[in-house]
Amino acid sequence: MEQVFDRREFILGFVAASFGTLAVRQGSATAASGAVLDQPWAVWAKDAKPVRGGYFRIAAGQYIGKMNPNHWPVLDWVSMGYFHEKLMLTDGSYNATVAWLAEQLTWENPQQVLMRLREGVTFHDGSTFDAESVKFQIDWIRDPTSKTWDVSWLAPLDSVDIVDKQTLRWKFKTPWASFAGVVSNVPGYVMSEKALQADAAKYDSQPEGTGPYIVEEANPGNFLKLKRNPNWWFAKASNNPDMPYFDGILVTVIPDPAVRLANLRAGKIDVLTLEKSQYAGVKSDPEFQVYRIPGNHVNALRFNTAKGVFQDLRLRKAVSHAIDRQALIAGTQFGLARLASCIYPADHWCHNPDLKPVNYDPDLSKRLLSEAGYSGGLSVRGYYNNTSMGQTIAEAVKSMLAKVGIDWQVDVLAPAAVAARMQAVDYDLAEGGWVFIYDPDLMATGLYHPAGGFNFGRSKNETAIALIEAGRKEVDREKRQSIYWQLEKVLYDSYEDAWLWWEETAVAYRQAVQGLDLEGYLKYKEAWFWSHPLWFKDGKA
Amino acid sequence: MFRYIGVRLMHSLVILALVTVLVFVIAQLIPGDAIMAAMAGNVDMHDAQVVARVRHQFGLDQPILVQFAVWLQHFVRGDWGTSIGTGENVLQMFLHRLPITLELFFGATLWAVAIGIPVGIVGALKRNSALDMFLTAGTIVGVSIPAFWEAIVLIYLLAVVFPIVPPSGYIPFGEHPLLNLRAMLLPTFVLGTHSGGLLARYVRSSLLEVLGQDYIRTARAKGLSERAVVVRHAIKPGMIPVVTVIGLSWGGMLAGAFFVEVIFAIPGLGRMGVEAIFQRDFPVMQATLIVVSLNVLLVNLSVDILYGYLDPRVRVRA
Repeated sequence: MEQVFDRREFILGFVAASFGTLAVRQGSATAASGAVLDQPWAVWAKDAKPVRGGYFRIAAGQYIGKMNPNHWPVLDWVSMGYFHEKLMLTDGSYNATVAWLAEQLTWENPQQVLMRLREGVTFHDGSTFDAESVKFQIDWIRDPTSKTWDVSWLAPLDSVDIVDKQTLRWKFKTPWASFAGVVSNVPGYVMSEKALQADAAKYDSQPEGTGPYIVEEANPGNFLKLKRNPNWWFAKASNNPDMPYFDGILVTVIPDPAVRLANLRAGKIDVLTLEKSQYAGVKSDPEFQVYRIPGNHVNALRFNTAKGVFQDLRLRKAVSHAIDRQALIAGTQFGLARLASCIYPADHWCHNPDLKPVNYDPDLSKRLLSEAGYSGGLSVRGYYNNTSMGQTIAEAVKSMLAKVGIDWQVDVLAPAAVAARMQAVDYDLAEGGWVFIYDPDLMATGLYHPAGGFNFGRSKNETAIALIEAGRKEVDREKRQSIYWQLEKVLYDSYEDAWLWWEETAVAYRQAVQGLDLEGYLKYKEAWFWSHPLWFKDGKA
Repeated sequence: MFRYIGVRLMHSLVILALVTVLVFVIAQLIPGDAIMAAMAGNVDMHDAQVVARVRHQFGLDQPILVQFAVWLQHFVRGDWGTSIGTGENVLQMFLHRLPITLELFFGATLWAVAIGIPVGIVGALKRNSALDMFLTAGTIVGVSIPAFWEAIVLIYLLAVVFPIVPPSGYIPFGEHPLLNLRAMLLPTFVLGTHSGGLLARYVRSSLLEVLGQDYIRTARAKGLSERAVVVRHAIKPGMIPVVTVIGLSWGGMLAGAFFVEVIFAIPGLGRMGVEAIFQRDFPVMQATLIVVSLNVLLVNLSVDILYGYLDPRVRVRA
């Protein structure tokens, strides 16, 4: 059984990087707020008959690492989401409009937000979630002695003040359009004040969140066992006292993808994100429910526009039109990808729908090379990562470029070496792209602003930079969306990079797993997932 | 004998000191560090401030010599530092994973001995027969088959098609002995196959050499049965070179454990070492390589001592 459903992104969406904006206008109240049962994403199918019981078994490529989300490194954000919850969640278009532990946000002005917190929420250690606990946590993150890696994300924050037991006022140094996005991201995971005060270092291995599951046993490098949280606030708020339905979750570390699949086939795990090469062999297997997931990652080739031949727009254009994206998707991605027009995926709220993917036109590429004075051929240098997929893509692109007379001398390197080359801007054309595209500013700044951590001076498009800076300050959603549409158009017209595809992944579930709903997911993504816990048929794995 | 052991011990200490320096130099020669490895694919590392903060936290912004001196000073005091990749205490990681890898090694050695010695003996006694040729072919397959391929095929065969053993995972012996043995059956077999094949080759040739000795001819001339000749006079001296092979195979097993533990999701030292290398996790990389070197040195030392015990001529030369 095959469906198109973004389960993996949905899970990842809860925990991974996101910056978003509120669906609010300045001075108005609010993103979706109020009682849980009033929310459109909280609606259940009438024929759903969830039952309790069983341990849900998941395979992870790596052990989670630290379980305080603010301490580096965290290697498994999927698991993190089962025991920690965030103040805000993102919606179906990756926009942070869904009020979760923050019941309501009100923009008093572009530099001030009033946040009302949900009542009746308790941490796993029994302490109460309230304004004081959130203020303590935010101040703790900002305290240099806490050694939090994400402190700079809160740089625009001036102060967090307690208004009453359930209300906070957030004051910013400058207009901060990404605020809701930040609190739907790592700094927005709520942590027990009691636990942090008792022993912040211990929190790395013994977290106390509010999530549907509680850490029961942590065996580094081997497994993480979680047990059901019988006091999960959402179960009470949504009149579903049996939520979450599984008795617990067992996350086993299995590094090898082929062995992960063997475990799924042997019935030892209940869900698996498939390698693309595994998809064809599993999609028609009656033992599984297989879903295709439109992901929020973009794959691209990055140009060095600061020095070298790709300062010339004609040559960037020649490269971009020499790549047969359809063939790449079919040949290297096993068909699991969507043609990309620019940086934001088609289902992202900042995607400019007027832009079409660059067409394959090798004759145009040859003409452009000739016009630029390279009719005899062009030689460029670059790198790609050394995964088997990376090597395949690099070889395929190299071959396509060779057909128009471009000799891409591509080095296939380990991740650390890739980072070293990127940092040194030691390339003409190299692997690019971005993963987890939520708030539009994170990727835009990262790739195209001089301050961006993935730029290092390789891109200096002044119009794009001005738009990125404007986007950071604009708190009106529609105006902000318009800014990012313009930004996409500017990047697209200047062939700032060669965007190839937006990711798609495939996830296989054993038939015993119930509660999956394509329509609900696509509409509300993260909000739907966390409000619709899965269960086992008959309560058994 | 004590002088002999002392000399070998001194050699080992000198080698260990050289390995310590070499490990650090090699680690520095690899491009990039742990933070760069993380940056390459992790959106967490999206700004320079984050990178600088994390790098400072792990002392990676210090000059190399300072890093080395600090690391060495802490290492010899038993403070092996904190893993950059997982945030765990490195010494604790080792103490936690060492018994798992040792179990894997002992299990693999048992397989190697169980396969290698009988096959080698039968091969020698039935020299050039069809059975010998069959066993020889089998040992060559055992030596040359890529372990990762063997592992995947066996997993699909014995865990998916005929579900006799679990596909992967580790359960401590103390927690559930039977499940532990079931879980370790395939990994130990895969790891032991190569050594088993090698051992069989050595046993066969060593035994053939012994069987051609004058004293064996004398034993036969005395009218002893072939069984008595082999059991009483041939097998024991024929096993002396086998000690070396078993010792050497421990070094090889360490290399094998690196991928057997990854494939079978066994949280041992091998997998920890592989992950550390990919993550440029210097504290774990350095500690792993030193422990690996120490293991090889100790095994070689043990073999030397055992050799000295078994063959007095070795002691005299030393």
